[in-house]
Amino acid sequence: MKIDCTIDGKTLTLSLNSDKPLSLILRENMGDEGYVNHCGGQMCGLCAVLVDGRAMLSCMVPAFEIRGKNVVTFESFRRTRNVKDIEKAYESVGAYPCPDCYASRTMIFESLIDEGVSDSTQILKELSMVRCPCMDPDDEIRIVQKGIELRRKRNVRRTQFA
Amino acid sequence: MYEGLSSPNIHTPANLGEYASIVLHYPRSSLWAGGTFIMSRPDSYPSRKMNAEIIYLGEIEELHRFQRNDRFAEFGAMVTLDEILNTGKAVLPRVLIDGIESIGSRLITRRATIGGSMCTKGFTTSFPGMMIALDATAEVRFIKKKRLHSKWMQITRLMDRNGRIVLPQQGMISRVRIAFTEKNCQYFSRIGSFMLEPEKSVSASFTATLDQDILINPKITFTYPNLGICYSRDIDSLFTTLRFPLDDSELMNLESMVFTFIDSFFQGISELQRIRTKGILREIVENLNEKALTIPFEES
Repeated sequence: MKIDCTIDGKTLTLSLNSDKPLSLILRENMGDEGYVNHCGGQMCGLCAVLVDGRAMLSCMVPAFEIRGKNVVTFESFRRTRNVKDIEKAYESVGAYPCPDCYASRTMIFESLIDEGVSDSTQILKELSMVRCPCMDPDDEIRIVQKGIELRRKRNVRRTQFA
Repeated sequence: MYEGLSSPNIHTPANLGEYASIVLHYPRSSLWAGGTFIMSRPDSYPSRKMNAEIIYLGEIEELHRFQRNDRFAEFGAMVTLDEILNTGKAVLPRVLIDGIESIGSRLITRRATIGGSMCTKGFTTSFPGMMIALDATAEVRFIKKKRLHSKWMQITRLMDRNGRIVLPQQGMISRVRIAFTEKNCQYFSRIGSFMLEPEKSVSASFTATLDQDILINPKITFTYPNLGICYSRDIDSLFTTLRFPLDDSELMNLESMVFTFIDSFFQGISELQRIRTKGILREIVENLNEKALTIPFEES
């Protein structure tokens, strides 16, 4: 099956099995093995990417659903200005995710900050998908709140969802 | 790695008419809603079926509709759980809200749909049990004499003897209607991860109206993901005969009677599921006891 999509800003036409998970597409077809994990249904939460601006677990997205969509992985996201806000938030809170979950957690933080979610229960629920226990829940809440504050100072417009 | 081995054909009907013609052409096709359950199975990729046909329901406009009046809420089968929370948190029954919130992250609820949650193959989510406790009805679309028919049915009528939701051949749930209930006792609890440890988890949904010290129209369902839903009118009528608050001996008696029914439904309940069911049942009774002791004072 031929699928047209945009991955990390590149418009691509991929010839794939129609039900191939996006996590495997990124690992096998795009060579993004460092930032996206594929646990085969173990719900590790280490494969978060942004699909049309929203965080999603790439292992849950089949190839046919990314047709015409814009996928952003940590590989390209780490070169944007938005990642600086999250890094500053890590620094000001004094807590960093471990190297295993850094990419996935940062993508989820970005989604929460972009949506402006400041409710602590919702933040923890969203981040509960990442099974890695390296971060303190209080720190996670503070990071999102700090990120929202920094984003507001920069006057960045939120992503408009369809 | 497995490219070209067995790539399923994906059909994306834009309306129910197109859906009907695809189903007529490919009677053995599988339906794809949000895909959260299918994709989380360890053997989901590569597809083992050769020449598999998948009908993706995400493009059908009718299935995304949401309608609400003062008596009920009606959801299209492709309405996501997150959309349900966003649109009706204040008015929808507590059991439904708690059930959706127990799933956790919006990374899942943004993709999981109400129709898909009810029709998982060989696995039972906590949703159908919840719907039974809420007395919900579903519109089932099915092919008969080469035409698409629809019929509103109670969820209990879709359940087979093994406690699984079974639809007619080539059938699907297109809408779910949930009545706004006046019941003052609503309770949902889930213990364990349904996806990761199906043989250890259990959920229960309970709805009833507590009037003075008796329960009116109670409904209780227990869901075991690996086995199915345990719902029996006999268990419901057990609760109607009780007068709250219950003491320890009455509770023990209730427990043993409930387990008699559960055991007659399912033989393969694990020890942990049994202990967890007992815990949930005790919690429900404790809540009812508390309510029975406080309500008269509040009213006076």
